[in-house]
Amino acid sequence: MATLPQPPMPVVWRSETKPHKFCPGCGHPLVLKALGESIEELGIQDKTVFGCDIGCSLLAWDFFNLDTVQAHHGRVTPVIVGLHRANPRLVGIAYMGDGGGYAIGSQHLVNAATRNEKIMVLLVNNTLYAMTGGQMAPTTLPKQKTETSPYGREPETTGKPTLGPEMIRAIAPDSAYVARGTVSRLPQLKRFIKKGLENVVSGKGFAFIEALSLCPTNWRTNAEETWKFLEQDMHGYFPVGELAPEKGEE
Amino acid sequence: MMAVAFKPIIYEDGKGIFHLYPGLCKGCGLCIQKCPVNTIGWSDTLGVFGTPTVEPGHGKPCTACKNCQTVCPDCAILIVPIKDRKNLKES
Ligand SMILES: Cc1ncc(C[n+]2csc(CCOP(=O)(O)OP(=O)(O)O)c2C)c(N)n1
Ligand code: SF4
Repeated sequence: MATLPQPPMPVVWRSETKPHKFCPGCGHPLVLKALGESIEELGIQDKTVFGCDIGCSLLAWDFFNLDTVQAHHGRVTPVIVGLHRANPRLVGIAYMGDGGGYAIGSQHLVNAATRNEKIMVLLVNNTLYAMTGGQMAPTTLPKQKTETSPYGREPETTGKPTLGPEMIRAIAPDSAYVARGTVSRLPQLKRFIKKGLENVVSGKGFAFIEALSLCPTNWRTNAEETWKFLEQDMHGYFPVGELAPEKGEE
Repeated sequence: MMAVAFKPIIYEDGKGIFHLYPGLCKGCGLCIQKCPVNTIGWSDTLGVFGTPTVEPGHGKPCTACKNCQTVCPDCAILIVPIKDRKNLKES
């Protein structure tokens, strides 16, 4: 049988587990595409350990041809820190949602960043708790309707959405790499991920990347509204770009 | 490890050879929104979830910009510029 052209999957994607388990139109696999291509281009597949959290990120437990571990909710950061401390040759990636990183696992994120652990945290911000049915998260936008904010989030009683990269930049040493990307600018997100991985591989310091993502299932949006919510509402609140250290800090 | 082989439906449109893998396409429609010439539309062929897949030919001719390939969360689209046909990688 003549061989046919194959789908443009990164080499580190495990083709036998595709189609993957994410919903139609989900942003997680777009982030994992940028991550897969970055790992491939840096040639670090053999020494990379991928850790996923509880939440939709766990649907990536069989996604890659990489050593993979799945941790309790919010705990993937210390699990990857531990792996890297036991074997510093490893490139450790902690992959989680905004609930995992900014709510239940925030102490781990804060302390890993303050200690400048040589791991990369890749956090997917879809403005809600997706896996459990779309409840309000620290990142839910003002007036955004979710299962637990049916009249829209009220900042007076529930606070303003968490600005994660800004917080990490403020507490991490200057040698940490911090950026916020978006799945609507995938080449840029990939550039940020590659820089983050290089920061870790070279032993320079911690890397934190937030990826603004899509969740049409819980946003209850069609394709047009899905892009619009990301590109107008989310981009409007969460500035996309690299966060350089403030001058003269260290 | 066994690599899985996926079978594309192949369309030619404008400057592009549009490969659509129904075994991967979940019918999310993200690509339809991102095509600068609006050539992508719904197809009668069903994908892996029993929802419509996509096909070119609904707008102006494809420019082979690959936006659809980039934004597909399932890697269900491969665009090969017609001028590169002879280099079409077989694997
Ligand atoms: C200790 C603990 N508390 C609560 C839960 C329930 N739980 C499962 S997934 C989830 C939310 C995940 O949201 P997020 O981290 O934003 O990831 P997403 O699903 O949006 O990608 C929660 C609260 C749990 N599994 N474990
Ligand atoms: S619920 Fe949302 S985040 Fe989870 S897999 Fe579906 S689209 Fe993705």
